[in-house]
Amino acid sequence: MPFLPVITGLGFITSIGHDRATVGHNLRELRHGFAPVEFLGNPNLPVKVAGTVKGFDFPSPNWRDWRWPDNFSVDRELLRGLAPHGVYAVCALQQALAEAGLDAAQLGDGGTGLFCASAGSPFMLGHFLAQLQETRGERGNPMGIVSSIAGTLNFNLAAHYKISGAVCGFVSACASSSHALGYAMDEIRLGRQSRMLVIGAEDMTAESIVSFSSLRALSNNPDPATASRPFDSQRDGFVGTGGAVALVVEEAGLARHRGARIQAELIGWGQAGDGHSVAASHPAGAGLREAMRRTLADARVNAAAVGYVNAHATSTPAGDRSEALALKAVFTDQGARPRVSSTKALTGHGLSLAGAMEAAFCTLAIDEAFIPGAAHLTDPDPACAGLDLPRTSLEEAPGLVLNNSSGFGGSNVCHLLRRPA
Amino acid sequence: MKAPAAPTLPATDQKDRIKHLPAEARAAFQRFQATCDPVALDPVILAILEDFIPRPPARPLAELPGDTRLIDDLSFDSLAIAEVVFFTEDLFGISISNEEIVRVRSLADLRGFIHAKVAAGPAR
Repeated sequence: MPFLPVITGLGFITSIGHDRATVGHNLRELRHGFAPVEFLGNPNLPVKVAGTVKGFDFPSPNWRDWRWPDNFSVDRELLRGLAPHGVYAVCALQQALAEAGLDAAQLGDGGTGLFCASAGSPFMLGHFLAQLQETRGERGNPMGIVSSIAGTLNFNLAAHYKISGAVCGFVSACASSSHALGYAMDEIRLGRQSRMLVIGAEDMTAESIVSFSSLRALSNNPDPATASRPFDSQRDGFVGTGGAVALVVEEAGLARHRGARIQAELIGWGQAGDGHSVAASHPAGAGLREAMRRTLADARVNAAAVGYVNAHATSTPAGDRSEALALKAVFTDQGARPRVSSTKALTGHGLSLAGAMEAAFCTLAIDEAFIPGAAHLTDPDPACAGLDLPRTSLEEAPGLVLNNSSGFGGSNVCHLLRRPA
Repeated sequence: MKAPAAPTLPATDQKDRIKHLPAEARAAFQRFQATCDPVALDPVILAILEDFIPRPPARPLAELPGDTRLIDDLSFDSLAIAEVVFFTEDLFGISISNEEIVRVRSLADLRGFIHAKVAAGPAR
């Protein structure tokens, strides 16, 4: 492969921390980011827990009311077009650029592209449309569209950072930012761009999270210590979260040339559809199984080379079972036994954010030589028989790392990461 | 083309609408409501501009000459101007058409325009 994409910068605004050191510590120590919440001021809602994003506050759709931690700065010119998750994204990107040793002024060089993923902001869109209805179309926030629809991240950030390379947003629900990262890899592998900024983000609002209650997809367990327990036989749904994660992906030669520290190599990716249901995963995990196989084939490695799988498992009864069966087909049945855990046990499910967040966790695992344990797992689902689900984090270099994501409509995307040579 | 009438909004919105403006501007607005004195409008207009300006200016707008241009000198763009227009329409109960606003280029233009509009319109 003439052009190899590598990761040189990470930025985190997550329920388990807003900087690399805190996130790494919490992954190692299996400290979750959940807190009790009362959505929509309604104590009767069965959903009692969320992966809260500490230090940020968005009490209204008016940016003048918004607050974020003092160590981040968000320009007013940018702020007026953002949704809450856009603020998270700016803060995450600032970290990632600093870590990669890049100045914002370098991003308009044409060699840098930007791929983003979020569901848009149901919170902002709801308020925008309510005003439009109330005034029968005679009033509307001029920034209402760009701050709310899917694409809000790439609209705002591409303009602000003067990106003149490839710019796109990706929408495949909970696989969205995994698609963004996969296609960013292709931009570099095809020689079209030398650097890609990849950002996944979601609001942490009732509008984004409680909506999933209608699907019966959320956990009703009020205990923050056990509500999210992927692969456990007592799991009863996912716990929602928001935030943003930014990755700086560069062509290896460019990264080396400018002396950037390479944290992980991205050596393959793949995707496959379930062809099955709009919301439910294929009962045997057919699409995810194929996506994993295509990823291994793309990287020209066999299953036995994989040391750790960061599973998509969100803690829903059906989804985790499908993934367990897909993992057994790809690994156990081939005599391979990678460690498997879902870090959503600690963070909650970040929807469009999930794939980028977990790719960043995989990068930390490779860069800092540890494997996050399967938190909150006490009684594994029998479907997991044969999978290696370590109950505690392991201080061991993981070898090749596979990152799994699945979204609505049966979109399945995987990435394979490697320690730099 | 006749501009459409501004939508009717509850008067109780007004206090909430200006809560983000500085105390002096809020006091000036109350003075204007009580006296209809157009002089009281000026601090309100400048505070609205400062509230919507994309990049905060190096000096307070009150210190800048009247011929300072909104777009060329003050970083306003069409979106920010649209925000100012909507806010001003709702606050003063006036209606501003696109044709009118494109003729407003400077701080002095805007001041004169809003004075004339408010004098002619149903200020609340």
